[in-house]
Amino acid sequence: MHFEIAYNPAHSLATAYLGPHESFRAEAQAMVSMSSTVRTETTATSKGQGGFLRGLKRAAFGGESFFQNRFSTDGSPGQVCLAPALTGSMVVHQLSVGRDLFIQGSSYVASAETVELDTQFQGFKALFSGESFFFLKASGQGPVLINAFGAIEERELSGELVVDTGHLVAFESGIEYTIGKAASGWIQSFLSGEGFVLRMRGHGKVWLQSRNPKEFGSTVGKLLPPREG
Amino acid sequence: MVTCSTTVEMSTHLNAGRSAGLFRVFFAFIIALFRKFLGGETIFVNRFRAPGGGEVVLAPSLSGHIIQKTLQGGQKLFVQSGSYLASTGTIDTRLKFGGLRTLFGGEGLALLECSGNGNLFINSYGGVLPIPINGSFTVDTGHIVAFEGNLDFKVRSIGGLKSLFFSGEGLVCEFSGTGTVYIQSRNLSSLVSWLSPLLPA
Amino acid sequence: MKYDIIDSPDYALLQIVLSRGEQIVAESGALVAKDTGIAIQTSMRGGLLGAAKRKLLGGESLFQNTYTASSDGERLFLAGAAEGDLRAKVLERGESFFLQSGAYVAHHGSELKIDTKFGGVRGFFSGVGFFMLRIEGPGTVFYGSYGAIHDIELSGGSYTVDTGHIVAFTERLDYRIRTFGGFKGLFFSGEGLVADFQGQGTVSVQTRNAASLASFLHPFRRIKPRSNN
Repeated sequence: MHFEIAYNPAHSLATAYLGPHESFRAEAQAMVSMSSTVRTETTATSKGQGGFLRGLKRAAFGGESFFQNRFSTDGSPGQVCLAPALTGSMVVHQLSVGRDLFIQGSSYVASAETVELDTQFQGFKALFSGESFFFLKASGQGPVLINAFGAIEERELSGELVVDTGHLVAFESGIEYTIGKAASGWIQSFLSGEGFVLRMRGHGKVWLQSRNPKEFGSTVGKLLPPREG
Repeated sequence: MVTCSTTVEMSTHLNAGRSAGLFRVFFAFIIALFRKFLGGETIFVNRFRAPGGGEVVLAPSLSGHIIQKTLQGGQKLFVQSGSYLASTGTIDTRLKFGGLRTLFGGEGLALLECSGNGNLFINSYGGVLPIPINGSFTVDTGHIVAFEGNLDFKVRSIGGLKSLFFSGEGLVCEFSGTGTVYIQSRNLSSLVSWLSPLLPA
Repeated sequence: MKYDIIDSPDYALLQIVLSRGEQIVAESGALVAKDTGIAIQTSMRGGLLGAAKRKLLGGESLFQNTYTASSDGERLFLAGAAEGDLRAKVLERGESFFLQSGAYVAHHGSELKIDTKFGGVRGFFSGVGFFMLRIEGPGTVFYGSYGAIHDIELSGGSYTVDTGHIVAFTERLDYRIRTFGGFKGLFFSGEGLVADFQGQGTVSVQTRNAASLASFLHPFRRIKPRSNN
């Protein structure tokens, strides 16, 4: 089982190629198309029954829930095409044992069954921006498919870096971080438009996205017709 | 701001223009607060400084491109206010309205008149296409990124009365003279129209 | 009439150069820019009766704009609403295909037929939002996508596509609409529907879908103020 990506950087499409009797898991909304030889089943229900996710918390932020579909083949090979909700790129990261990956919740697309996922909630809410975000911890080995809003940039961190939370896609364990505000003071935060940042320290890889989903959401959202409360 | 090195300091200032007297600053502050609360563009700017050196990575909110223009001498560039990303040097930006409606963030043209010496970074929704004009050219206002200061421009509705209400096209800007207009290939107004039927109550 | 598609597939823009008197009909909101000499005329699609019938289907504008060049070499720039690609399809007399209604941008040729009454393809969407159009030549139709366009060639086999990702398909294909086996998340607009295609032909798939974007943006909308009766 492996993933191949086309149409980067703006309109990425990932194709999962499955041999006979192979399977993988993907975020619920990601399926675009698939060959008729592939079966699907849901691995996590709203009641959080078992499945492949340990310690699954139903993470509901702004209507998002973390559910997965399991795609598998029987005696014949098959293909599944996957895509995220927003314009942007995807990348495959080969996870290896001992080098865990923290993935921002909405950046996860799919992974091999040999990858274990843990939801770790970083429930940090800001007074003005209403920001909150959660991370998934991916451990084990095998391919992990990650998406970015905009272009994806992989950086090798060695030292310190300040990263806007909305632009963080993933980072390797071994990197420490503290959360702070980009601006000093609450008024400044409100006026500057800059929200929360992570001051990251250590050694390892950091993946960034060139656009911020929440900024895009609020820019367009306020132009849309109002909704029922 | 996407990332920056820890040596970079950020401070927030009112963008009232460099040589603004007290009255202009006051007026700009009221306009800025007014627009911030009505959800329009704000004219507070962030200044990034790194006395010992450092790196700042900036990105706009919409998907698309970023272009760089160098201004010098008396050159002037009008930039649609949502398209301004950043500038360096002594570049001054003055907010100009193409009609009273833009004060409320509605249709029309909110422009930043940029002049001075330095680099100007402009972003687009979608791709950017520079169009050299020699005569007359019409651009849907939602598709204007920037245009050179020597061009004449007039904001109006696209056709007759019927077109105003039914064409689905908003306001257009008619340019005349000689100069370059930068157009973007997407606009938020069309995105909203396309998406609205799919939204639940 | 000469045309050029610029910036494909990221943010495709259609540039048309017209001879004096030539006309292009376009969707509302498709205009990017034009030489001032090009005249615009707004009319109702298919006359008053046809337009009234169409409004019932939803998701389509009642009006269309006809652009006429007043001299040779006048330029018209058009684009679709969504971030994505744009294609031109030249159809011979009698040649036809199915096009998702939200994808239509413009067409050239007064004899081109755009039919929304074709009953056979009504099942594709829940009835709210997009629907399928049957386009028949002679003429050229310009259509856009949300995301890149990925063509799937079928030669006898079977393939399943999420209906929100369908841009176009050839007429000879058989298809069956059903609900998706796995979990498709919190969706509106009749999502969770897939089409099983079978036979010989091409399905053009777009790598993003409007319902996912609507779902993402929904929490960012302003809340309607409550009114007391």
